[in-house]
Order: sequence, then structure tokens, then C-alpha cells
Amino acid sequence: MASGTWHPKNMTAIVVAGSLVALLCLGIAAVMLGSPAFTPVQMWHILTTRGDNVNHLLVWQSRIPRFTLGALAGAMLAVAGVMLQDAMRNALAGPELLGVSSGSAAVMAAIIIFGLPIPFLLQPWLALLGGTLGGAMVVVASWGDRSHTRVILIGVAVSSLLNAVITTIVSLGQQDTISLFYNYLVGGLENRTWQQVLLVLPWLFALGLSYLLSNKLNVLQLGDDVAIGLGLKAAGLRIAVFLLAIALVAPIVAACGPIGYISLLSPHIARRLLKTHDTTRVMPVAALFGAVLLTGSDILARTVFSPVEVPVGVWTTLLGGPLLLIILGKRFGRSTP
Amino acid sequence: MTGLSLKTTRKSYLSMFFCLVLLLVIFVLHVGVGSVYISPWDVVRAIANHPAEEYQRWIVWNLRLPRSLIAPVAGGMLGLAGAMIQALTRNPLAEPSLTGVTSGSILSLVIWLVFVPNVETRPVLLPLVALAGGIGAIVVVYSITNRLKDGPFVLVLKGIIVSAVLSSASSLFLVQNNDKLPTVMLWMIGSLNAKVWSDWSTLWPWAVLTLPLGLLCARTANIVQLGDDVAVGLGVHVQRARLLLFCVAALLTASAVSVVGAIGFIGLVGPHIARRIVGNNAFRAFPMSMLVSACLLLIADFVTQLAGLVFGDVASGIPVGAVTALFGAPFFLYLISKTRQ
Repeated sequence: MASGTWHPKNMTAIVVAGSLVALLCLGIAAVMLGSPAFTPVQMWHILTTRGDNVNHLLVWQSRIPRFTLGALAGAMLAVAGVMLQDAMRNALAGPELLGVSSGSAAVMAAIIIFGLPIPFLLQPWLALLGGTLGGAMVVVASWGDRSHTRVILIGVAVSSLLNAVITTIVSLGQQDTISLFYNYLVGGLENRTWQQVLLVLPWLFALGLSYLLSNKLNVLQLGDDVAIGLGLKAAGLRIAVFLLAIALVAPIVAACGPIGYISLLSPHIARRLLKTHDTTRVMPVAALFGAVLLTGSDILARTVFSPVEVPVGVWTTLLGGPLLLIILGKRFGRSTP
Repeated sequence: MTGLSLKTTRKSYLSMFFCLVLLLVIFVLHVGVGSVYISPWDVVRAIANHPAEEYQRWIVWNLRLPRSLIAPVAGGMLGLAGAMIQALTRNPLAEPSLTGVTSGSILSLVIWLVFVPNVETRPVLLPLVALAGGIGAIVVVYSITNRLKDGPFVLVLKGIIVSAVLSSASSLFLVQNNDKLPTVMLWMIGSLNAKVWSDWSTLWPWAVLTLPLGLLCARTANIVQLGDDVAVGLGVHVQRARLLLFCVAALLTASAVSVVGAIGFIGLVGPHIARRIVGNNAFRAFPMSMLVSACLLLIADFVTQLAGLVFGDVASGIPVGAVTALFGAPFFLYLISKTRQ
């Protein structure tokens, strides 16, 4: 197996470098594109000088924070996907199919629409609680289940239940209902500023913790028996991984809504390109891909139908759904009895 | 043997009759509930054009009746479609909204609304437009599903993903036409709010056409249910029979969806309850599914109306699709846990 798929050790380095360059290009595009669009010279001028005319404000208070938030969100979602997929040994595991995103979104919808007096920085914690409840419902309902598709379907059922809760909550509010629906059912980066970036920033510690766990995830991938044989507390580790994954997703849902398919797909693309399941290498690459995918989709969301914005969650679903179907066909077309 | 089957037949006729009575009772209650409460007896008098008070006749005929009529008819159509799809995929989890038919219908309706001028003048065409999308979606789901190798879960999972992609595509067309957004957003969730007589006149011709058509398919469905080998042995062209059933089910769904939107889980729950009562024979299961689902949607809408009374005016806008999902999703969970691969 190993000899058949031999790859230069520096493949990871190449992929990392490539995606960093891609991210940089997307960053430049994110600053330049939109209305008004800037030429490179104008952009250079805006970035290097200080001022508070409209263009400066637009770049510094809207485009750059939005890109930053998109990159952070993509990376965190992707790492959450890597951890869930490895811990559950399920290629289809992702927060959007496991009730985690919807659980967080339901809590956020309740906080915002009912105007509950929750301090801004506390909101991710409550989103975390909601996500944990949503995920726990799925875990309990699928306890001891060996069928991967069944677990995911249970997650879908729980998600649609929670989405119905969101729909009910949103219809109880009287404000601009439609954009609220999109906010809590699809997710977007419209009108996000440094405020949301600051909301997400403290949660970056979870990224570091995840990387520390990546070695143990490698062992967990081998199956519980092997893991226990190697002296790992498999059940406890799995719970820790779950909670960490939810801690990565919850602040993103609190800041941008339940953006789908990034966390499902980035790990797959990373594994495919690196031709390895080694979590220590897959995780950082997947994080970069998540950032590239989400910021790229967001540029599409802003520019394709300009001046109208399409919520970025719509684009990630449009692009991610077909890819997921391909994975589903390859993985389960043969193996399911 | 004959005695036994006679007994089960009589029992199922009895339960169908009971279901019909239940439907009428809920119907009267449903007409009566709202911001102005009208007692059941007054509802009956108002419908019979001998109202106790003149304003009651006005409320009943102008405000309440269209909604109370559309709910059971659309519910019945979705239930019958669900029963047909479950029979012909032999998959207990199949349902119009879980196999992509509903979202496909919505997508083609959205495209039609956005690109064709003056659509409001030809609402009767809407079900045909929806049909095109519904059949398109089911073709996509089926072409990427391997019926022999994929278990029941994979078909549904693929249907759900295709649905998500199609809904996103609908959103894509929609955000460019903001004036249509509120209507269609409710369509995508499924709602009976603000239904008027013109909606009813879109629905009833198709209901009259498609409901009997669906019931007539019972014989074919029974044979398909037996499995391909037996069906071929009985001299039935299986592919053709399956295609026929699919088209009729898609037409039922499309007609209902083009009026009430993507109301989920009705087509899943109704047929299961019906089969639990009358058994798998399509001759009895199809009409029973229709009746049970009609009751279910009417009850779900009754719940939204009651919520409107309890929570005040704000809550009267709860779309009925949210209520059916709140009650249907746990049922879906239960079915998943019961289904073996």
C-alpha cells in the first residue's frame, strides 16, 4: 500500500505553499473586487496610506475584516471536519450533517430574534451549548450504530428538526424576516466587520488544541480495539474531539451562520491531494483549503450578481453538494450491502 | 381465507370511514378557529348559507374556506404521492421532499416566476411547470443511485443532498428578484398563510385529475411491490410500470407544491400510519394514505392557527411546513432506527 502510493515527502510543503499563494491571491482579489472595484495602484495607495475617505473605510472596515473572517471560518470549519471524520471514521461526518450547526444556529436565532440580554462575547458559548445538544441528540440516537449512512441520516433528521425550530423562531420575529431566514438556515458573510472577527479570535485556541490531538486521531482511525491496545482511552478521547470540533464550529455559526459543506469537503480534498490519511499532515492542509474555499466562494457571492449579494452558504452548497455526491458514490456505491 | 380477507376489507373500510368523519370534524374546527372564533355549529350554518350572523358567512366564505379546503386536498395529494413513491422504491424512508421531487418543482417554479413575464395571469399552468422540475430532479437522483447496490439510506441521503443543491439554486435565482422573495421563501418552507380562492382554483382541477389517477395505479403498485422477478413473471413491463408510477407521483407532488410549497414529512408520515392500519395492499393503503395525510396537514395547520391565538398576531405567520417538520422529523428518526439496510 505504502509503496504503491509513494509520494515525495515535500508534497505537503508544495501543497501548503500553493494554497498559501492561492489564499494571498484571493485576499488581493477580495480587496480589489466589488463596487467600486480598485486597480492595483489604487489598492496599493489605500493600503499604504492612512485616511478616512470612503474607499479607506470600505477596505479597512468592510473588505479586509470580511476576508479575515472568511479565512478564519473556513479554516476552523475544515479542522472540525477533519476531527469529526477521523474520530467517527465516517467520510460523511461534518457539523452540518450531524446537527451541530443547526443546534448552534437555533440558539443564535433565539438570542437575536427574542432579543435576549446576552452579552456579545458570551454568545459563542451559548451557540456551543446548542451545538453540543444537537450533536448529542445525534450521538445518542445513533449509539452503537455501525452503519455510516444511518448515522448521517439521523443527523439529517435532527438537523431538519432544528431547522424547523429556527423557522418557527424566525417567523415569530417581525423584522426583515427573509434575510433572517438566510442568516440562520444558510449562513453568509454579508455586513460582517471587525466585531465578528474579534468574536471568533479567542476561539482560535481550539485550533491549536486540535493540532495537538492530531497524533492521537491517527491512532483512533485504526479502530477502537487498536487504540485501546496502544493505551489510548478511546471513548474519552472521542468525546474530547467532539467537544473540540463543536468549539470550532459554534463561534463560526455565531458570527456567520451555519455555512455548509466547507468542513465536509476540505478534508477530502486534502486527503486526495496528499494521498494520505495522516491527520498531522491532513489537518493543516485542510485548514488552508477551507480558508481558500470559503473566501473564494465569498468573492463569488459578492461579485457574480452584483449589486445583489447571494449568501455565501448558497454558493458553498451549490458547489459542495455535487462533490459530496461524488464522494458518496465512490465510497458507498460499492461497500454498502 | 375468504372470510378473513372479507373481515380485513370490512375493517379497513370502517377505518377509512372513521378517517373521513375525523377529517370533516377537523375541517369544521379548522374553519372556526382564527382571530374571530366561530363555533362549530355556526360554521356548519354559515357553510350551508344559513348563518346565525351575516358577518360569519362573510368570514367563513371569504377568509377561512379556501385555506381549510386547500390544506386537506394538498395533504391528500402529498400523502398519495408518498405512498406511491414508497411502494415503487420499496423504501420506507422515501417521500417527495426526501427524494428531490419537491425541491425540483420549486426550482422550476422559481425559474418560471423570474423569467416569464405576467405569470400571474396563468396560475393553472404552474403545476405543469413544477412537474418538469420534479421529474428532472427524480431523474437526477435515480441516475446517481444504484438501486441494487445502494441501501435505502443512500437513496434518501442522495435525495437530500440533491434537494439542498436545488434549493440553493432556487435561492440564486431569487436574490436577484427581491420582489418575489417573500412569496417564494414561504414556498420553500411550505405555507398555507393567505391562501385565497384563486389558489384553490389552481389546485382543484389538478386534484380532480390526479387523485383518481393515483388511486388507479394501485394495481400496478401492488405488482411492483412484489419485486421485479414476480412482476415480470406476471407479464408486467416493470420499467414502464415504474415510470408510470413515478410520473403520476411527481404530478401529484408538483400540483400540491405549486400551491402550498414544499411541505415536508406529510408524504412520509401519512402512508406509514395508513399502512399500519390497513396493511400493505395498495388498493386499501393508497386511499387510506390520502385520507390520513389530509387529516395530518389539516391538523398541522390547525396547530399553526392555535399558535396564532396563543402567541398573538405575530405567530399567525408560522409556516405550516415548520410544524410538519417539528412533528415529522422525530417520526423520520424513529423510521431510520427501525429500518434495516
